Amino acid sequence: MSYLKLILKNPFRNKTRGLLAIVGIAIGIMVIVALGMVTGGLKASTTSTLKAGAAEISVVQTGSGNYGSGRIDESRVTDLLNISGVKETAGTLRATNTSTSGSSTADVSGSSTGTGTTDTSSGQGSFGGFSVTGMDPDKLSLAGIEDVDGALYSNESTNEVIIGKTTSTNLDKNVGDTINLFGKDFTITGIYETGNFMTDAGAFMSLSTLQNLTNNDNQVSSIAVKIDENANATEVSEAIETAYPNELSTTTAASMASRMNTALNTIDTANWAISLLAIIIGGVGVVNTMVMSVFERTREIGVLKAVGWKEKRILGMILGESVVLTLIAAVVGTVVAVIGVVALLSVYFSGTIEPSFALDIFIRAFVVAFVVGIIGGLYPAYRAARLSPTEALRYE
Amino acid sequence: MNNGVEGDKNMDTEENIIEIRNLKKSYDDGKIKALNGLDLEVKKGEFLSIMGPSGSGKSTLLNMIGALDVADEGKIKVAGIDLTKASKLNEFRSKEIGFVFQMHNLIPNLTVLENVEIPMYESDLSTDQMKERALKLLKSVNLEDKRDQIPTKLSGGERQRVAIARALVNHPSIILADEPTGALDSKTGDVILKLLRDLHEKENVTLVMVTHEPYVGKMADRIVNVLDGKIQN
Repeated sequence: MSYLKLILKNPFRNKTRGLLAIVGIAIGIMVIVALGMVTGGLKASTTSTLKAGAAEISVVQTGSGNYGSGRIDESRVTDLLNISGVKETAGTLRATNTSTSGSSTADVSGSSTGTGTTDTSSGQGSFGGFSVTGMDPDKLSLAGIEDVDGALYSNESTNEVIIGKTTSTNLDKNVGDTINLFGKDFTITGIYETGNFMTDAGAFMSLSTLQNLTNNDNQVSSIAVKIDENANATEVSEAIETAYPNELSTTTAASMASRMNTALNTIDTANWAISLLAIIIGGVGVVNTMVMSVFERTREIGVLKAVGWKEKRILGMILGESVVLTLIAAVVGTVVAVIGVVALLSVYFSGTIEPSFALDIFIRAFVVAFVVGIIGGLYPAYRAARLSPTEALRYE
Repeated sequence: MNNGVEGDKNMDTEENIIEIRNLKKSYDDGKIKALNGLDLEVKKGEFLSIMGPSGSGKSTLLNMIGALDVADEGKIKVAGIDLTKASKLNEFRSKEIGFVFQMHNLIPNLTVLENVEIPMYESDLSTDQMKERALKLLKSVNLEDKRDQIPTKLSGGERQRVAIARALVNHPSIILADEPTGALDSKTGDVILKLLRDLHEKENVTLVMVTHEPYVGKMADRIVNVLDGKIQN
């Protein structure tokens, strides 16, 4: 039998104690992996909002609390082109289509209601509705939509729509299918994917069609602004706000992403804090397990010394056993976290947030487990290695 | 013999494998004198019984010979190594000494074969060579068929035979047996003693056995009595 096999065999001499130690560490690893997968997924989605081609600045009505809830006169879409540094603008109207049991509602100020046949709220979970954006089709790149599987809707069409990949999956709708929005049937002409979980969970149609459907003629909820290559987004933003004080407010995509990343970093920090706590608790469990194991095997360690084992071999054996426990815990914790996160996100977020499977999350989990194994096993291993053989052999 | 153990080899004569002079060992800050100026010589290949009452110092003497403990004073030279000066005692134990304890001290979660392999981990042998050598020893103690059993499934006599195989597996110069039949019934004890004596003769290994039972001691080539930490003439 090899030395490694001996090390692998020993941790399960007392199965209950070994399993309890594994559970203790596995909980910590599970937290690290699960939170890492969720925050990693959110970060990837945030990063995609900064993709090339998309608008750098979003202009909304000053004082409008909710995203897209304010109204701006559509003439401002062309007015903003006069601001220095502005390259392109696009007016967008955002409305929420909620439907239950076949009814659809346009959740916009001055909204309209209607009846429909498609339940477009299914799978949207806590995001609370199905976001429909009205936008000229030739301006879709400003919303981050570069490629469409199928075709774009035409600007004059009143019954065409493109839907996001997540919407397509959730509603099981494909190009050519019909979807009922705000009480009206629309033909799906294309399916897009941007990588942004919010955008991909919505739909786009002609601006004028959505304005008509929601009684928002000549009004938009926001203006997407693309700036010149050499222009500074912050300076252009300030220029817009200065030109239209108390009317228009701006948010740069970078600052929005930054704010989201700050929030995600806070979650990351919390992740580490929770993980650290879990690791300390699990680590104490490992120390306890290994100390008990060494106590129970005192005579046995005396025999190993009597037959000529070196101190470093005994040290290595106990440390190895400790690391075996924590690495098994890492495998268990990772598997449970992956299954749990995938199941939870698919049930409650239905594809709107894709879990991250970044290698660094798993490497971090296994490194943490290994370090806990080494630190947890160090004292018991040292104690075992330094035992006097005669005292160890006399131990009752 | 080049056994790799660092120590003074210029102390004894060729025929003595153990040579002890004025050995002293005390415990509890000198209050307990376990060995009190003990002298002893053992010839290579000899079967020696060490007898004496409880607390006389016979087990301490055995521990000193096996380099499990170090002396306070005196000289002790075993298999050509001055143990008062040697630095790699584990290496000495691994190559020169085989221990048989009163309680077999087998590792309960390992099989019989794995228990016998344990002393060979410090050697350069491959796992296949270790297995081959362990099986050979198990055959010599008639336990080849029990190789995959764990010790708790064996009788007391079988466990002690496994312990004897483990003691012999590194081809030591000396077997140190501390009351090897103490935990066995007399019939099983006789079997174990016969096995020890046969292996001692067959392998030409020096056998030093501590016992407090006269009939066991009489099986040896020579008996020494220890009292108050000294050999009694």
